[in-house]
Amino acid sequence: MSGRGEPGAEPRRGLARRAYGLLLRPEASVVVVSVALVLYFEIANANFVSAANLQTLTQFVAAPVIIACGEIMLLICREIDLSVGQVFALAPFLMENINDAGIPEPLAILAALAVCALIGLVIGLITIGLRVPSFITTLGMLFLITGLTLTISRGYPANTAGGPVLTGIMGEWAYSEILWALAIVAIMHTVLRHTRWGLHTIAIGGNIVAAAEAGVAINRIKIGNFVLTSTLGGFTGLLEAFRVGSIDPLAGGSNIMFLGVASGVIGGTAIAGGAGTIVGGLVGGIMLGVMQDGFTLQGINAFTFDIIIGAAILIAMVANIHLARLRGGGAS
Amino acid sequence: MTDTATAGGEAIRGENLVKAFGHVTALAGVSIRVNRGETLGILGDNGAGKSTLIKILTGYHQPDAGQVYVDGRSVRLDSVDEARALGIECVYQDLALVNAISVYHNMFLNRELLRGGPLRLLNHKEMRRRAAQALAEIGVDIPSVEVEVGTLSGGQRQAIAVARAVYSDARILLLDEPLAAMGAREARLIIGLIDRLKARGDIAIVMIAHNYAQTLEICDRIMLMQHGEVTFESAAATTSAEQLLDIVRREYRAARAG
Repeated sequence: MSGRGEPGAEPRRGLARRAYGLLLRPEASVVVVSVALVLYFEIANANFVSAANLQTLTQFVAAPVIIACGEIMLLICREIDLSVGQVFALAPFLMENINDAGIPEPLAILAALAVCALIGLVIGLITIGLRVPSFITTLGMLFLITGLTLTISRGYPANTAGGPVLTGIMGEWAYSEILWALAIVAIMHTVLRHTRWGLHTIAIGGNIVAAAEAGVAINRIKIGNFVLTSTLGGFTGLLEAFRVGSIDPLAGGSNIMFLGVASGVIGGTAIAGGAGTIVGGLVGGIMLGVMQDGFTLQGINAFTFDIIIGAAILIAMVANIHLARLRGGGAS
Repeated sequence: MTDTATAGGEAIRGENLVKAFGHVTALAGVSIRVNRGETLGILGDNGAGKSTLIKILTGYHQPDAGQVYVDGRSVRLDSVDEARALGIECVYQDLALVNAISVYHNMFLNRELLRGGPLRLLNHKEMRRRAAQALAEIGVDIPSVEVEVGTLSGGQRQAIAVARAVYSDARILLLDEPLAAMGAREARLIIGLIDRLKARGDIAIVMIAHNYAQTLEICDRIMLMQHGEVTFESAAATTSAEQLLDIVRREYRAARAG
């Protein structure tokens, strides 16, 4: 696009400018940083780039990326879901309880997801219908769902049921979780860039008055994105439960939610809405995963680990906000 | 453009429109009538009820009393979509455009073209092509339909908003302060655009404005509003800016004295 403004511009300069513009895109800069991190960890550990570690890495990446797909849609239309990590923990217990009641496992999975979708619907209806900021609605839901999960589980972990094929597909096979994540990324990228739903989500975040005046169904889209985020959160919880082989009432939580939000924001999603990409969430999630995995390999102790990860997330977000300013017209 | 109504026929009429917001009466029984090919200018202070009137005609607000007629038939405008289905389009003063998305996405916002098939994906290519063509037809000059609207000037954005309304087959075009906060050159751009639309003869235009001289130049007829009522109406050709100013001053003094 930058080349078109000046039809007379020398082609080589146009190319250089386009490359510069591409580098300023948040996705690109995050990819560059991720590659640098991979090189650093490979030099420091020698076995970072190995089949075994690649598998570990994908396990760090998959869950936050799926959560990010939902949160990015919400952030773009100026909402957020703080309770998605609690839905993550609730979903496997829902599935187990429904399964225990005699419903076959595949149906139990679908039923658990339906309940997660219902939670999203409730969040959406409260936020839109009662005009409560989603930050508050989902903060309340965060505690409510935690209590619900603890009540259902009586505070005890449980084992996941299910035949080997289903368990394999749903997360136990080494790469099934990352494949699910990539499939969801592909679908959500298409939804955001190539459907009315996505365009309207961006329009609502960019200028809600304009969207309303154009007749965009604002409430429907926002509520839909809450339903989507809760459902994806529940689905991620199920994947993790099948991968680990047990379910824990305190799994996921705010940690996984913030990793999802951070993936999106590092990848260029504007907290103020109106801008963001799913691909950005993917590369943001990969960068966070590389850091988590790399520092784990380095053997940094758990306390220092959080300091380093926290600082890295801060730096990445600050960098992106300033890159947005450099690009000009950035919505953050 | 496919209807049977001919130039000169009545396009839209509102009778005794009343609208209150709580204790504030925004419209106290206003009547308005615009023919095809005609341009009506509505002048008045802030709070005179101009924007409320426009928003009733676009279905954004519903009147407490009174009746709207389109093509001579009485209609209920319960939503923006219903009004739009009748060919009523508005360009608001806050420029109902989304800065963060491209020109062509704005042109097609909420009436996107879709590719065939069950996935109902956006047809970006066709939207780009038609947007560029539509803008060229009414003489709006921008670098590319792919640029984000936020990178364009105020005049260009206004022109795109007008072009969007016209492109969507608007037969009744409502312009809310199309020349507000615009430099002379930018204003000429919009005035030229309105003139070209007038020349087509099939569009009825209602515009809200502040500048008397400009409004008299653009419009066929003008209407003066004050405190939710129409206080003066006349043909632009037989009215001067001084005359309007006189009326407004008199009203202002009367209001202060009262």
